[in-house]
Amino acid sequence: MPVDTKRVRGPEVSQSPSLFLCKTAANKSFTQKDARVDGRQRGQVDVRSVFVRCGLISQAKGSAYIEAGNTKLICCVYGPREMERKDETDMKSGRLMTDMRFAPFSCRERGSWIQGSDEKDLSLMLLESLRPGVCLHKYPRSQIEVNVMVLENDGSVLAHAVTCASMALADAGIEMYDLVLGCSIRQESATYLIDPTYLEENGCNLASGSGDNFGSLTVAFLPSLNQISGLQSDGEMGEDILTGGVRTCIEGCFKLYPVIQQALTKAVRRKAPPSEN
Amino acid sequence: MSNKMAVIHLESGCQQLVLNWDETQYDFGDRLCSTDDCIPGTGVYLRHGYIYSSLAGYILRKNEGEELPVISVVRETETQLLPDVGAIVTCKVTSINSRFAKVHILYVGSTPLKDRFRGTIRKEDVRATEKDRVETYKSFRPGDIVLAKVISLGDVQSNYLLTTAENELGVVVAHSEAGAQMVPVSWCEMQCPRTHAKEFRKVARVQPEYLLA
Repeated sequence: MPVDTKRVRGPEVSQSPSLFLCKTAANKSFTQKDARVDGRQRGQVDVRSVFVRCGLISQAKGSAYIEAGNTKLICCVYGPREMERKDETDMKSGRLMTDMRFAPFSCRERGSWIQGSDEKDLSLMLLESLRPGVCLHKYPRSQIEVNVMVLENDGSVLAHAVTCASMALADAGIEMYDLVLGCSIRQESATYLIDPTYLEENGCNLASGSGDNFGSLTVAFLPSLNQISGLQSDGEMGEDILTGGVRTCIEGCFKLYPVIQQALTKAVRRKAPPSEN
Repeated sequence: MSNKMAVIHLESGCQQLVLNWDETQYDFGDRLCSTDDCIPGTGVYLRHGYIYSSLAGYILRKNEGEELPVISVVRETETQLLPDVGAIVTCKVTSINSRFAKVHILYVGSTPLKDRFRGTIRKEDVRATEKDRVETYKSFRPGDIVLAKVISLGDVQSNYLLTTAENELGVVVAHSEAGAQMVPVSWCEMQCPRTHAKEFRKVARVQPEYLLA
């Protein structure tokens, strides 16, 4: 892990001021009340409304920008390019390379530009979710690069990254079997919070009852083919809660679907206005 | 005779028709049509006997005589063509060797590529006759623009394999050692207009209609 040797850290007994921050005020809102902080309901499929736009970045082959509440992500797609390292034994299909990064100003505490281990994990999960959706056999000996940058992290980043990346791929004209949409939930004993914000994802909720069935779940879903391409779960959840959570995420994906389709339609129309023949 | 029909229909997302076309609520499992109605073209894929779109773009239906119409999905921005086996490509020679010449593939057919792909023309693929007595130095030089055909996508180690073993394939534009663009004299020689020196190249016989006056 790269260590910053030029920064003066202070005497040995010093502690970070963030330890003394008043966290109890934030925790009060996480009791089992019906409303969440931003006014959405618990236990209902109430995803944040989403703003999406394709084709922002002129240099990239395809790009997409997504905003869900305060979470902001941007994705660029380059390719198909010639494969750099030819160590693949199978040259008949292309390769998808994903790269997900958090901007240093995206989280509460300043990060670094160097990719950390959790960013590498997220990149790998993004790759696994996107790969079943792309027709890689139509691009032999080529590689397609997908770069996602998180501009502001306010929860369910992986889910929105999946959606954003598949929109950017569609905008780039890469052939796909279907769009891949992502949705995540946070399970809190009896109820769930769909599309959680950063505080809801990471808040400490032991005050609200027994300590079982706490966790979060992210699902990547192909709506028209009705297939799940990625599933990531954290925490402890019972089997029925987990399967119920997966179904909830699928419903959340279906709610997003028309917005994404409209955005893609607009992008195609903008690029090439329909011509009467 | 093929007539292009209605390019106005728009459909979005992969594999789904957008509501504007059908004016119905989205229905999971909407498809373009079944294989009984149309033949799949580019930008679509087949699944369980139905044709689905794999691109966000416009539907193009072409009627080719008595056969079923060909349905394909196109985007106005030229689709990234990859060099495919049998395609005629335009490339630029980057280096030559006694055994092969390395090239950068610039155009596939008439569409330019955004990224350059690398190709190789082996010594035995330069000409159709007398393959063993070919000298690459007398067929190509670095900087020549060559028309070639893709014979194979190559394996792990090699690049695209190309051939110029036809009359219409070979060097199209070449510059002489003096720097002027040379004029073809025969199938194996080109002449510099400034110094009148002849140089050896494997010249392509370009069809008269493609030559500018």
